[in-house]
Amino acid sequence: MKRVPAMTAAWIALGLVAMGQDAALPTLTDSRPALHELQRKMSEVRSLYLEFTQERHLKLFNEPLKSEGAMLLDRPALIRWETTSPYQSIMLGNHKSVAQFESNNGEWKKLKLGFPQLLRRVMEQIALIHQGKLDSLTNDFAISVATGTDVAVLTLAPKDETMRSMMSSLVVKLLPDFSGTREVLTYEPGGDFTRIIFTRERHNVTFPAGTFDQTNPLGIAALRAAMDHAP
Amino acid sequence: MLRDCSLMFLVSVLLAGCSAAKQSLQGTVPVPAQPFPPDALVTQRGVLTVRGRQFSVNGYIAKSQSRGLRLIMTENFGAVLADVLVNPEGKVFVMRAKPPFRRAWVERYIAADLKCIFGEATDSNCPVRVVSPTHFILERRWYKVDLWTVETKPGTQPAEMFDVTRGGNP
Repeated sequence: MKRVPAMTAAWIALGLVAMGQDAALPTLTDSRPALHELQRKMSEVRSLYLEFTQERHLKLFNEPLKSEGAMLLDRPALIRWETTSPYQSIMLGNHKSVAQFESNNGEWKKLKLGFPQLLRRVMEQIALIHQGKLDSLTNDFAISVATGTDVAVLTLAPKDETMRSMMSSLVVKLLPDFSGTREVLTYEPGGDFTRIIFTRERHNVTFPAGTFDQTNPLGIAALRAAMDHAP
Repeated sequence: MLRDCSLMFLVSVLLAGCSAAKQSLQGTVPVPAQPFPPDALVTQRGVLTVRGRQFSVNGYIAKSQSRGLRLIMTENFGAVLADVLVNPEGKVFVMRAKPPFRRAWVERYIAADLKCIFGEATDSNCPVRVVSPTHFILERRWYKVDLWTVETKPGTQPAEMFDVTRGGNP
């Protein structure tokens, strides 16, 4: 059976597909109508802009390791994942290629990526899922849905044993009508987990030229300014 | 699969490194007087270059003047690649080495590089170039690592961080 790597799963989650359940909420007996509704909502989203705070909770550390950034998706398959703090890094993908830039004292340097074709494949999967094509996930995850008055929670539990050794579950918390994402959590068998909190989400925005440019990507400041003026 | 394959690539390179002859140490510059507080949590961003291909990693280093060093190394999305403890005497304990990494490689290369940058003593086997107080370049025969210190939080780190019986998962 084809396996989904942890990184893909994270991307999937960020693509608003994978979802988890909150133990306090009742789990739906039949999750298919909810998933269908989610897919319908996703199909209406032409583009997506998210800002996030990522917290890496490791048992050894007193405090979570935090990073901040933004994720942008544009149909049919343009993706930008940018970390803005505590370091600066940009990953860009489309149907054909991927690129990564690292900032060195304010100067961006494009990496000569190892195994770019694999990253591109992950990007393609994210794009497909972003279009609401969830079918491929059901082979790899047991998906359950729980709903409450102010949150909808989906849980993806990996079916594959190897995958479970890396990630015990993946949880996505959404607005109850699936119109927005609140946070994504990935739990690991040893008790460590990652929490991604979305602080700003815009749908169907028109991104400025250069947003997904793999040679000279537009800076995040200009992007944020454009989002400030987006309808 | 992406991560697995990326790791496989790194491993293949490290394998080659393991079988290589001892590196030349000429032209290296010792790390100057400690650029880090005696007790601190340091976050570093690194770009590993192997055979012309590059991979980015994150390093979180707990530093204690009396208890030693602890490094957690992760890939871009947070998965732990290596976890290593160095006690004040310089003895290395590999707490975690995720497959396909081997513990011996973590000890031989990652721990050695950690000691080069954060260790008290100047080791002759430290091919480190200090570009700036926040930028180090480690260059061995088979790989090069550009390391940028992106955050330093001074302060005493939890004792558990330096307990060899704590925190390591298989």
